Amino acid sequence: MKDDASIRDLEKDFGGSKAVNKLSQRVKLKNGLVQAEVQIKEVHIKDDVCICNLEKDFDGFKAVNNLSLRVKHGEIYGLLGPNGAGKTTAIRILCGLLRPSSGEAYVLGAKVPDPGVASNVGYMPQELALYRNLTVHENLAFYGEVFGLSKRQIQTREQALLKLVDLETSKNLLIDELSGGMQHRISLACTLLHQPQVLFLDEPTVGVDPDLRASFWRYFEELRDAGITMLITTHYMDEARHCDRIGFMRGGSLIAEGSPRELLELTHTDSLEDAFLVYSQTEGLQ
Amino acid sequence: MKASRAFAVTKRVLRDLKNDRRQLALIFIAPLLVISLFGVAFTGNVKDVRVVVVNSDTAVGNSSLSDKIISNFDTSVLNVAYANTEADAVGQVQNSSASAVIVFPSHFTQSVAARASGQTSIPQENTTVQILADKSNPNVSDPIIGAVNSAVAQTIQGLGRQAPVSVDSSNAIYGANAQFIDFFAPGIICIAVWQLTTLLTLISFVGERTSGTLFRLLASPLKESELVAGYAVAFGVIGITQSAVLLSVAVILFNVTIVGDVLLTFGVIALLAIVSEGLGILLSSFARREAQAIQFLPVIVLPAFLLSGVFWPIQAIPTWLRPVSYILPTTYAVEAVRSVILRGWGLDKIYPDVVALLIFAGVFLVLATILLRRRE
Repeated sequence: MKDDASIRDLEKDFGGSKAVNKLSQRVKLKNGLVQAEVQIKEVHIKDDVCICNLEKDFDGFKAVNNLSLRVKHGEIYGLLGPNGAGKTTAIRILCGLLRPSSGEAYVLGAKVPDPGVASNVGYMPQELALYRNLTVHENLAFYGEVFGLSKRQIQTREQALLKLVDLETSKNLLIDELSGGMQHRISLACTLLHQPQVLFLDEPTVGVDPDLRASFWRYFEELRDAGITMLITTHYMDEARHCDRIGFMRGGSLIAEGSPRELLELTHTDSLEDAFLVYSQTEGLQ
Repeated sequence: MKASRAFAVTKRVLRDLKNDRRQLALIFIAPLLVISLFGVAFTGNVKDVRVVVVNSDTAVGNSSLSDKIISNFDTSVLNVAYANTEADAVGQVQNSSASAVIVFPSHFTQSVAARASGQTSIPQENTTVQILADKSNPNVSDPIIGAVNSAVAQTIQGLGRQAPVSVDSSNAIYGANAQFIDFFAPGIICIAVWQLTTLLTLISFVGERTSGTLFRLLASPLKESELVAGYAVAFGVIGITQSAVLLSVAVILFNVTIVGDVLLTFGVIALLAIVSEGLGILLSSFARREAQAIQFLPVIVLPAFLLSGVFWPIQAIPTWLRPVSYILPTTYAVEAVRSVILRGWGLDKIYPDVVALLIFAGVFLVLATILLRRRE
C-alpha cells in the first residue's frame, strides 16, 4: 500500500544516513511519520490497533504527545521507554480507561472508548489486579463471569490456562499464599481467560525473575502464533527483542519505530538499550 | 444492565469476606462487643448511692415522721449513713465519700402535724426535707431526689392522707416495659451497619483502585452500574446478617422487646446498608490509599453517632444543629427501626423514613456510578 511504502522509504532513508546526519534525517523522519500517520488514520483502521496523533494532557503535563502507531493483526508490538514516557497512559486510553485530549485511537476498528470492544480485549495492568483474599480459582471464575463465560467454559479454559502457566496444583490456594512470580502468572491467566483477540500488557514482566520472564515471552510468542495481537509495554530493553516491532517512547512521543533488527542496524549498536540511547540523545539534541 | 455480571460482583464481595477472618470479625464481633458493652453499662439502674442523713427531728410520742420516711427509702438505691451536723455531712460529700445530704429540720414531725391541722403560721422550712446533692452528675443526683420524693409520698399515703392531685403514668401507648437499652439498641444496630458498611466499601474500593482490579474491571464488559449494584446487593445481605446477629443478642442478653415486624426491620437496615455503600464508593474517589480512607472514619461515625437520635432525641439537639441531623441517612433509619421495634409500626407509618432512605440510596448510587464512569 502507498502508506506502507512511504514509511518504508522513510526508514530506508534513515537507515542509510550516518550518525552525524541523524539530526536532519530525524526531522525528516518525524515529519514523514506525521504525514504518513494522517493517511494511516484513513486507510489503516483495519489494523487491530491504530493510534493517530494522540495527545493526553494532565493539568498542563503532556503525558502523551502526538503519538501515532499501529499494530497489525497477529503482531507483538513493544512500546519501550523509561518510566514516565507515556506508555501506560497510551495503553489506558486504548483500554477506554482514559479519554484522549486530542487525536484518536482505534482497537479492532472501533474508536475507543467503546464498550462494545471490551469483550475482545485483554488488559493486564501494571498492578497484579487480583483479589488477594480469593483463591486462584475464585479469581479466574470471577473474571470469567464478568466476561460472560459459562461455567463449563470457565472450567475448561481455567484448566488449560493453569497448565499453560504451570500452576495446575495451585487452583485452590489464596492469591496471598502464592509467590510474586506465581501471582504474575495468575494475573496473565486472568487476562487470557476470555480468549481476547487483542492483548494490552502493561509492564507484564516488572518484578518477575529472569526465568519467569523468559517463560512469559514464550507464552507471548505462542499467543502471537495463534493470531493474537499484542501491545506490550516494558522498560526492559533486552527482552524487547522478542517483539516483531518496537516503538521507542520518550516524553510522551514516539522517537523511533521498527523491528529490533532494523533499529539495531540503523543505529549501528549491539543492544536495544544502546539503540534507545542513540535515539534518545538525538531527540535531546533536537 | 446485566444481572449476571452484577451478581458476579456480589458473589466476589461475599467470597472475599468469607475468606478474610479479620474482616468477618470487624463486621460481626465489633458491633457485638459494642452492643454488649452499651447494654451492660446502660441497663443497670443507679444503685447503692451513699447519702448522709442529718436528722434533727424529735419524736412525738415514740415515733417520728422522719424515721418513717427514712424507713421507706429504697435501700437498693440509697445507702444511708448518718451525721450529727450538716457541716460534717456536707464535708463527706465534698470529699466524695457521699453523693448527697438529706436534712430533716428540728421539730419536723410536730411542724408537719401542725400544718396538717391547719396552722398556717408554721414556717415552710420547718416542714421541708432538704436535699443537698452533688448535682455535677445528674445521672446520680436525679435518682437520689426521686427516691426521697417517692419515700415522702409513700409515707404520707401510709398515714392515710391523699395528695389533692395525682398523676398516673402506669399505662403506656408504646413501650410499656421499655428500658433505656430498648431505646438505644435500634440506634446502635443502625450505627454499626452504617459505620462498617461505609468503611468497608470505602476500603474495598480504594483497594480496587490500588490493586489494579478496578482498571481491569473497567476495561471489561462490566458496566459501572453493574459494579455498584453488585456491591449494593452484597452489602445489603451483609447488613441484614449483621442486624440479625445484633438483634438476637439484644433480645437474648438484654431482653429487648421487638413489638413490630422483624422482616421490616431487616428491610430498613438493608436499605441503610445500600445508602452506606453508595457513600463509601463516593468517598473512595477522594482517597488514594487505604490509610487515607481511614481518615474519613470520624466524619462517618461522629455526626451519625451524636446527631441521629441514637442516645437522645432529635428534639434535644439545638435547633440550629438540627438540619445536620436531617441530612444524615442514619436519622431516618434509626427512627424507622425504633418505630418498628418499639412501637410495632408498619410500612404504612414509617414510609416517610423509608422514602428518605430511598432518596439517599438513589442519589448516592447514581453519583457513585457517574464518578466511576467519569474518565479523565
